[in-house]
Amino acid sequence: MSEFPYKGYAGQYLEVNLTTGKIVKKILPKELAKAYLGGTGFAAKILWDRVKPGIDPLGSDNVLVFATGPITGTFFPPSGRFMVAAKSPLTGIWGEAHCGGHFGPEIKYAGYDMIVFEGKAEKPVYLYIDDDYVELRDASHLWGKTTRETTKSIQEELGDDSIKVACIGPAGENKVRFACVIVDFYRAAGRTGMGAVMGSKNLKAITVRGTRSITVADPDKFFELAVDGLERETKSKLGLMAQESLGKTGTPSLVELENEIGRLPTKNHWTGTFKDADKISGETIRKKYRTSRESCFSCGIQCKFISHVPSGPYKGTLSGGPEYESIFALGSNCMVSDIEAVLHANMLCNEYGLDTISTGKVISFAMECYEHEIITKEDTDGLDLTWGNAESEIQLIHKIAKREGFGNLLAEGVKRAAEKIGKGAEKYALHVKGLECSGQDPRGQYSVGLTYAVNVRGADHLRSLSCYEELGYPDVAAERYGSDKAEEIMNLRSPKYKAMVVLDLEDLYAIVDSLIICKYGTMWPPIYYWDDFAKIIPALTGIKEYSDIEYVKKVGARISTLRKAFNVREGLNRKDDTLPERFLKEPMPEGPAKGHTCPLDIMLDEYYELRGWDKKTGLFTRESLEKLELSDVANELEKRKLLT
Amino acid sequence: MPVPKILVIEPESCTGCRICELVCSWYHYKEFNPKRSRITVLRNYELGINIPLTCQQCEVPLCEASCPTGAISRDEKTRAMLIDYDKCIGCRLCMVACPFGGTSIDPITLNVIRCDLCDGDPQCAKYCPQEAIRFLPVDMTAILRKKKSTEKIVELSKLILGSGRT
Repeated sequence: MSEFPYKGYAGQYLEVNLTTGKIVKKILPKELAKAYLGGTGFAAKILWDRVKPGIDPLGSDNVLVFATGPITGTFFPPSGRFMVAAKSPLTGIWGEAHCGGHFGPEIKYAGYDMIVFEGKAEKPVYLYIDDDYVELRDASHLWGKTTRETTKSIQEELGDDSIKVACIGPAGENKVRFACVIVDFYRAAGRTGMGAVMGSKNLKAITVRGTRSITVADPDKFFELAVDGLERETKSKLGLMAQESLGKTGTPSLVELENEIGRLPTKNHWTGTFKDADKISGETIRKKYRTSRESCFSCGIQCKFISHVPSGPYKGTLSGGPEYESIFALGSNCMVSDIEAVLHANMLCNEYGLDTISTGKVISFAMECYEHEIITKEDTDGLDLTWGNAESEIQLIHKIAKREGFGNLLAEGVKRAAEKIGKGAEKYALHVKGLECSGQDPRGQYSVGLTYAVNVRGADHLRSLSCYEELGYPDVAAERYGSDKAEEIMNLRSPKYKAMVVLDLEDLYAIVDSLIICKYGTMWPPIYYWDDFAKIIPALTGIKEYSDIEYVKKVGARISTLRKAFNVREGLNRKDDTLPERFLKEPMPEGPAKGHTCPLDIMLDEYYELRGWDKKTGLFTRESLEKLELSDVANELEKRKLLT
Repeated sequence: MPVPKILVIEPESCTGCRICELVCSWYHYKEFNPKRSRITVLRNYELGINIPLTCQQCEVPLCEASCPTGAISRDEKTRAMLIDYDKCIGCRLCMVACPFGGTSIDPITLNVIRCDLCDGDPQCAKYCPQEAIRFLPVDMTAILRKKKSTEKIVELSKLILGSGRT
């Protein structure tokens, strides 16, 4: 590894061709570290270079990347993460999902920054990594097993219950388009169907153990920054606030809060308040069902919990979470107020390897179609899909994962299912670019509308969500954008300055997702910002360019832009940067946001303008690409007549 | 001579972030590598049980007794059982003798390694976000457990005493 000049990185990566079975260790190109940092940046460059437009995401041409970042595996909290990327089978565009736990750091300790999979194995396999020793092993005996069974089987087989496993469940094997990847039993790389890509490649799991060390460029400085980070996360004003919510109750503390501000998605995003919110709240789970608190690797926030149902029809339910996003999706979103059913549904999703958000949204879509008699019991295999029917929700989860009957249709995601059903079902398919909406509502918080619309992976919060106005960080907003703008930024239902904020956060999170650290610490609470990264990255890597804030920002913008370029090359333009009709035309029926729709166009125009992209088409100008040193991207798009 | 201190570990407070492992390897090697750490969190990921394990610095150290070359001895200042690598022959008998698995092997040097209390300032205790690991004077350790077992009584007393008054 001496050939790689920068610290933090392992310095090499694995190329695994599943068709031929050939595994090659390669030195990480240093230009990649300099221009794209790691994680999502690396994935953007690799997918742009290798995935031709128009290919079938479930075909052998798709490329699957598991990437860490230079900070993964170090004592900088919260940094125990990795990411997965491929062309998404759900959306047909850029797909990526991030995940905590302890798997990511182990890849680094084994000596690799990332693993790139190409091709398709003839029969089920898993990748075994033990430092330098890497091989594909038969996984026929694991095929059909749940994620829990798979993890345990592999650990037993290898005689090491601390070996780290990332795997898919039956949902991934059956190529459910929103199947996820599960690590450490309960942590999910959830969105955009990365589990289905693994399934399509006959790749059941990756298992890894490592004994290598990670060194940093400026040890004293880096350690000082890490200790400072830990203090800020746990003991500063922002940190203490987060400990009261995230630390004490985890993300489920959002159930009460979102209900209060009128954007707890309820009844398939029909409304933003749920009368039974207290029954599915974080407090309810904390008091009645929680068994232990858990932490991802190297984290001070420590927001993970395990819950258990001791009695009743769902007795014995044991799983990690549920997170806020799972509670909303499987709870209020389907009008299910039986928290034990939600806990059970969450466990099933984890075991089958299903993204809880998309699963909840396809079920609520079906329920709304059922309400409007677009579908009937004849279509649903006899299931009564009345709102709030918890037992039907659970039956549907089994059917979706196994692609049985009506479940086979829902396993395609809301966009495809609605197209197939027709009869106006599209109106109830809540998605952007094919990705089902996560647990926000653009009518209750306008900036979310822009976040959903421009997010490269579709309707989801994690690429650029602003927490300033959602969770109340007026001081941070004032400090970052000026006190003259803070008041408007803090207004949940004002479009003013929201384009500026969303753009800033999109690029910031591109760095966060490349380094890779957690959104809890950067989004909620909003601790780390540009100036922090300009200190952390050079102390970690020794790449001195990163000590210039403008350089860090440029890399962030480059990564955001290249991911979008992937989508542009697939044929997307401004008409795709939109929202479901519900958010644009149906006023919020009740609650604090009553009467509001999301004024997307105002924010979108402003966003394109700030980016320097063409407002009418949403396409890049050559200048906007060249200033980010993406001339080759400009050339290719021009060749395809996709440049303005 | 002040009251000697020992490492007190409370698994019920541990969340398994493994920061202890990171700061341990950092202190000893200026590297991040949990496999070079002298403290290890044993995790049951499925049930969410986390148990940090390290050398107990036993009063009757079986490691010392088992060592054929006399390489292990107690440090006068910190009372940690230290390994003299000039004498250590790497036979790993001390690992066999230890009832707790308090000794490990450094995968890079292949030496046996054990907690040395970081020369009196154990980093694991210093940086544990949950205070699941603490470095305390011996006379404090039992009192802490006693306090924990009486928490309910204290709560109850507060309720009784606090009723109608502040």
